[in-house]
Amino acid sequence: MTPLDQVILFVVDLSALLAVYLIINVGLNVQEGITGIPNFGIVFAVAGGAYITGGLSTRIAVSLLGTQTNLDPIFDNISVLQLVNPILRSQPPTAIALLILFLIIGGIAGALMGLISSAPAVRLREDYLAITLLAFGEILNVIGIGYKPLIGGPIGVNVPDIFGWAGQYRFYAGTLVLLLVATAIFAYAGYLIKTPLGRTLKAIRDNETVARSLGKDITQYRTVSILLGSTLCGIGGSLWVLYSGAVTPTYARFDWTFLPWLMILLGGMGSSRGVLVGTVIFVALNKLIIYYKHAFVGILPFDIVWLNYILLGLITILILIYRPEGIVREKWTAPKQNLSAADKEVKAG
Amino acid sequence: MALVTLSTIVGWLTYSAFLSLMALGITLLYRTTKVANFAHASFVTVGAYVTYTSTITLSPNPYFGVPVAFVLVGVVAVLLFYAVLEPMRRRNSSTVMLMIATLSFDIIMLGVVNIHADYLTNAYVLPSRNVTLIGSDFKFMGQPGILFVALGTLVLCSAALYMLLNFTTLGIALRASMENSSLSEAIGINVSMMLAISWFIAGGLAGMAGALIPLWTQINPNVGTFLMASMFCASIVGGLEQIYGAVLGGLLLGLVDVVGTSVLCSLVGPWVALYEPVIPLLVLSATLIIAPRGLAGVRVRRGK
Repeated sequence: MTPLDQVILFVVDLSALLAVYLIINVGLNVQEGITGIPNFGIVFAVAGGAYITGGLSTRIAVSLLGTQTNLDPIFDNISVLQLVNPILRSQPPTAIALLILFLIIGGIAGALMGLISSAPAVRLREDYLAITLLAFGEILNVIGIGYKPLIGGPIGVNVPDIFGWAGQYRFYAGTLVLLLVATAIFAYAGYLIKTPLGRTLKAIRDNETVARSLGKDITQYRTVSILLGSTLCGIGGSLWVLYSGAVTPTYARFDWTFLPWLMILLGGMGSSRGVLVGTVIFVALNKLIIYYKHAFVGILPFDIVWLNYILLGLITILILIYRPEGIVREKWTAPKQNLSAADKEVKAG
Repeated sequence: MALVTLSTIVGWLTYSAFLSLMALGITLLYRTTKVANFAHASFVTVGAYVTYTSTITLSPNPYFGVPVAFVLVGVVAVLLFYAVLEPMRRRNSSTVMLMIATLSFDIIMLGVVNIHADYLTNAYVLPSRNVTLIGSDFKFMGQPGILFVALGTLVLCSAALYMLLNFTTLGIALRASMENSSLSEAIGINVSMMLAISWFIAGGLAGMAGALIPLWTQINPNVGTFLMASMFCASIVGGLEQIYGAVLGGLLLGLVDVVGTSVLCSLVGPWVALYEPVIPLLVLSATLIIAPRGLAGVRVRRGK
């Protein structure tokens, strides 16, 4: 492989991770940044999207493509995929249609998980909600490992190769699709902040009592926010599974809750641009660390990945102490034509 | 065949004692600092590795590590308070931000414990993951010593905490800063010192509970994370407003978890055991829906 190929591969891989994290971070920002719901368990929605996509995708592909087989889509996963994948490879439109279907399923799965995990505490104070959501976080791994028909137990399953039609450019095509979906979701989130719904959510975050006095049903809006955010997280999980081609029940709190929190904190909560900035900076840095970590293997008497844990934890704490608002400050989002003279003064001052 | 055997009851009481010790600290910190301390998970893990390391390197008696773990983890907790939470509190950070800070600290400690475990294996060729000290425990009346030590520790610690909070000047100052920190400051109580003391006690309790765990089951660097849902559940079931509710919550959650799983296993089938980690979540959900203030918050309405 030439150095140029290596660079291209590095950028493609980086962009895919960036796209998935951008989707999930937007989902987290809708909840914590805009509505003020401390969701410490988004791994629940991400894993929900991932595992449901992993469990259903082969089954759906088999039945929709009319493949004749007596094999079980999960337990004889590899053999079934050997029948399904050539069909998908020869019919790109079918593959794209399936992709869209799987993303919808992933989104619904994520929304369901968000609803389940927040239901007991959505009426209570935010710290109860935070503890409950955190506690639910990694429970899907228990079910993924224990209930084999879902994703084949601890070893996991492969999923149909949705991007197989691109041949040797499979990962390029996958990254492109991921980036397109991420851009669409990012644009939607930017639009959401400016809608009446977005402004109501912000009002609830800033002052619950005032929002309630204006007749807003707090519980209902919080639920809507969790539903929206978790849908995006589910889509992110689903996309990651389809891109990487396999799923195992190992979705951990560190990767899918702590890192998204770190990224939106770094960029600036509540601000759409902040989420983008935080995600880009973090993913690029972290990927570089992973890329260069082999230089240290053998020198240190321990696995370098743990140093990464310590470093990222320290960075988060430093941000929290010295710049809790992040790199990009949240912008004023009221529509311009409605600004009264007093508002203009506030904005100018 | 009896549904509930003696060994199930032993398991219940031991597990409950651990949970209660952890939940005591969580509730205490929630009362004093108004923060759900997610770093409690790694406090427990550090405690577990203190006993494990001291037993295989220094002294063959596993209980030697228990007081060491109390002091060491207590100091770690004070460090978390002074280095991270106190600067944030001075900047009026929100509760959620404090919670993320404790979560970040947990991640750091997770890295430290894993490095320690890797180091034990790579530099001294000692096993450091999925290890246990059950073999070096003593037997008393045919039962494992850990049962009596864990229960004894729980009773002693709750009694000591009760004495401290109710019969000493320090305890009264502590309770005053829990109830109203600005008023306490006005009458000359050093509130941040009081909070630091509560962090030392809570960290120490978690470290001690962790230190006893290798005598009861296998440990690995995720042992605390694995218990996290259970300890927070015990704390909420007992009621975050009442410190001693934590003991009640631990006993109840342990009962549902250990005895419930064992009964279900013999009734439905052994596959139920795979889903044991789901139990604390069900208990937590039920508590939050039925009695959000926990058992200690339930008031029995008397008839006229």
